[in-house]
Formats: sequence, C-alpha cells, structure tokens
Amino acid sequence: MSTVKISQERMYEIVRAPHITEKATLLSEKNQFVFKVASDATKPEIKAAIEGLFKVKVAGVNTLVTKGKTKRFRGRPGVRSDVKKAFVTLAEGESIDFTTGLA
Amino acid sequence: MQVTETLSEGLKRGFTVVVPEPELAAKRETRLAELSKTMQMPGFRPGKVPLSMVRKRYGDAVAAEILEQTVNDASGKLMEERGLRPAMQPKLEITKPGKDSDLEFTLEMEVLPEVAVPDLSDVTLDKPVAAVADEKIDETLSRLAEQRQSFKDVEETRPAAQGERLTVDFIGRIDGDAFEGGTANDVGVTVAGTGFIPGFSEQMEGMSAGETKTITVTFPEDYGAKDLAGKTAEFEVTAKSLAVAEVPAIDDELAKAMGMESLADLRAKVAEQIGRDYEQMGRLKLKRALLDVLAEKADFTAPESLVEAEFAEIWRQVEAERAAGNADPEDAAKDEETLKAEYRAIADRRVRLGLLVAEIGRANNVTVADQELQRAMFNEAMRYGPQAMQVVEFFRKNPQQMERFRGPIFEDKVVDLLLGQVKQNEVSVTPDELAADPEE
Repeated sequence: MSTVKISQERMYEIVRAPHITEKATLLSEKNQFVFKVASDATKPEIKAAIEGLFKVKVAGVNTLVTKGKTKRFRGRPGVRSDVKKAFVTLAEGESIDFTTGLA
Repeated sequence: MQVTETLSEGLKRGFTVVVPEPELAAKRETRLAELSKTMQMPGFRPGKVPLSMVRKRYGDAVAAEILEQTVNDASGKLMEERGLRPAMQPKLEITKPGKDSDLEFTLEMEVLPEVAVPDLSDVTLDKPVAAVADEKIDETLSRLAEQRQSFKDVEETRPAAQGERLTVDFIGRIDGDAFEGGTANDVGVTVAGTGFIPGFSEQMEGMSAGETKTITVTFPEDYGAKDLAGKTAEFEVTAKSLAVAEVPAIDDELAKAMGMESLADLRAKVAEQIGRDYEQMGRLKLKRALLDVLAEKADFTAPESLVEAEFAEIWRQVEAERAAGNADPEDAAKDEETLKAEYRAIADRRVRLGLLVAEIGRANNVTVADQELQRAMFNEAMRYGPQAMQVVEFFRKNPQQMERFRGPIFEDKVVDLLLGQVKQNEVSVTPDELAADPEE
C-alpha cells in the first residue's frame, strides 16, 4: 500500500463513524477495527487518516461498499445512500477504544 | 460495612458508616450484567451487548442507583442490628460518594425512648356515677310535653296575660319611616316570650283582640342588622285574636302520641337516655383521669424533634386563633415567652402520652380493623345530615382520609383495655357535678 499525505481536515472527512456491531466487537480480538468511511476514500487515505487521528500504526485496510436499498416512498422509487466500510487491521500491540470519543 | 458511633447523647444518635469500594463495585457489576441481559442496541442481538458498552451507556445511572440502595440497606441494617427505632426520618448526609473511594455517610437521628408499659393494677380511679333522679325525668317529660303544646283560641275579648299568644299585625317606623322587615301581618307573638326585640312582646301584655297600640322599643346595640342597631323604633300593633297555649298532660295519651306503649314505657325510655348520657360523661371523666395517671407514669424524655413538631402544630393553631381575633383571654395577659413555654409543656405531655399509648397498644396487640374505620366514617357522615351520602362518597374516593379516624379509635381501644386493668372506684355524684368541666 502506497503512502499518501493528507490534511487534518481530510482525515476528519474520511472517518465518518465507528461501526459498532457484534461482529465488529468480535473482530477487535483480531486487532481489526471497523469504521464507516467516506465513499470516495481510498485505502491509503484511510490508513493515513486512522494513523493520524488515533495515533496508531495500521497494518492493513480492507474496504467494502454496502449498496443502499431501493425503497419506495409514496409509490416513487428511491435509493438509500451506499455506505463504505473499512476494516482496519492494526499493527500488533495497538488498539483503539471506541467508548471514548475522538479528541 | 463499618459503623462508628459518633454521638450518643440522650435520645440523639449519630453514626458514620463506611462501605468499602470493592463491595460497591461488585454490586455495580452484578447490576450491569443484569441490565445487559435485556438491553437492546442497534448492531447487537438482545442480550449480546458487550459489558463495556453497557457500562458506557448506564454506568452513571447504575452507580447512583447502587449508592442509594446501599445507603438504604446499610442504614436499615444498622437500625435492625442496634434495635433502634427512630422518632422521625433520620437525617442522612453522604460525605464521600464512593465512586472511586469507599462510600462514607453519616446518619443522625433521635430514637424513641424505651417506654416501659406501666403496671396499672394498683391504680384506683374514681368513676363518677350519677343516679337518674325522678325530678330529672319529670323535667325532661314536661319539656317534651311543652314541645307538643297547641294553641286554643279564646272566644271572649279580654286583656292578654303573660304566656298567651296574640296574633297581631304590626307596622314598624323609625323617625316616621317604615323600615324593611319592620312590617308583618298575622304574626303569632307569645306575650313576654322570647324571639323578638327586648321589650316588644312584653309591652303587649294587657292588649285585647281588636285593640291597637303603639309600642316604642330600642334595638339592642349588637343587633344583627347593622343599620338598625341602637335605633329607636315605633311599632303600631293591632291585635287580632288571642290564643292560650295548651300543654298536653303527661299521661299515656302523650306517650302514645310519641310512639310508646304507655307512660311507664316513655319514662323508662327517658331514664335510659339520661342514664346513657351520664354513663358517657362518666366515661369521659374516667378517661381523663386515666390519661392523667398515664402522663405521670410517662416520665421518660420525649424526643425533641417530635415535641418540636407538635409544638409547631399547636402554635400554628394559636396564631390562627389570634389572627381570627378569638385568642384565649387568659393568654392575653402573658407575654410571648411564657406562652411559648406553656404550650411547649403541653406539646411535651402530648408526645409522651402519645408514645406511651402507642407502646401499650403495641404491647397488647391492639389493632384497628377496617370495619371499625368504616363505622367511624359512617358516624361522621351522619353528622352532616342530608349530605351524608356525599360525605360517604368523599371518603370512598379518598381512602387515605379514612386514616384520620384510626388515631382516635386506637386511643379509645387502648383506654378501654387499660380501664379493664385498673381498679375502678364508683363514686356517686350529682348530675351537675358530673356535667361540670373539671378544668374550672
């Protein structure tokens, strides 16, 4: 994974929210942490953002996009927004505590 | 839990209680685990939320809950272990909240004094008993007969004597002008009887039917109608007819008219009624004597807070009476300090008596059944006459109001119980002595 330099502003833009579910909690045993990220964010960008915001060392990033469902509202079809999720694997010994917010 | 007694002076008690932190933490964890079983959160199946999340969401609430619970439990346990019975709600102050350190709180209260149930078997009380005198019965009978009196017209024209009834028309004038309510027709006036302005009916003595007379009277200063009080009025009175009151003779006929079999029957009924009244008065006196004896026996110190509360209640009433302008004339001469001291003494006596009566009742398992409350409620309702049903309805809707009957019934039952224990010495007194207020 190539490295990129991004601004502080862009970091906050990329990392939308922690994705807290049962599955994500289980993954934290494997040192993987799940975030919702901006849909135009690339893996190197996400790595840079997580490293910059949480002051941790990232070993790797996997991403996926869950497509929004098509829903009907008053008979008209509409689409929910897609969500990009990033599974961030941290280097050994590192961790992120989701229960305390970002400074 | 560590308890240190900081104060033990008279009836006052003070404690400092320390609950170690690990104990609290363990309780918090159990409570959180309990919560997590039912907690729902998006992203998790019910009951699968990790403890760390639960703690983040509910940590503070649980901490507060546990704190309260621990304090309650600890104080409850403290009371139970030491056998303390607080007179009022204990004063509680949390000195260290025990979030990260040990929980520490102080408890201050006044305990109820040790009340020994006094032995009353060697107490002798005078029970005033009055015999029902024949004259008294006769008196009542003649009063009954008088209530049934009828008037009979007198045919001949002759001057009216006292006690006879004139039917008159009158026109009242003040300074020559007729005033409101001063004119009436066909009014029955008992000559020299009551119910009119003083001097009005008296001056009719000697009038005969058809005669017209002018009577001058002065309204009393405290007359009901303000604009008439103290004024002098002239009444032009025309007598129309004369009637004589006829009191029925006291005989079987009268008894039958009143729904009795015979005169003897009526006499017996009246005697019974009077006897019951005497009995009631005698009991009241006996009860007062008993309470006096009890007050003497209740030589323990009363909890200050209770006395203070009772005093405040009495004082409030005194102030209210004074504001309403009907202060006790006896009190008027005394200054504030003496008065307060006097009422405080009364409050003290009341509290001690109350505690003693409560204790005796407790020791003898005196309870007030719901039926007794019901009966008291109906008796109360009866006093309102036509509105009785509304009163009953009110109590049905506000059951907590029924509780105020509980005190007097309880007291009565305890008094009955005690009266069974003391020796009663029957003393015959005259009915007047029986009716007299012992305070005077």
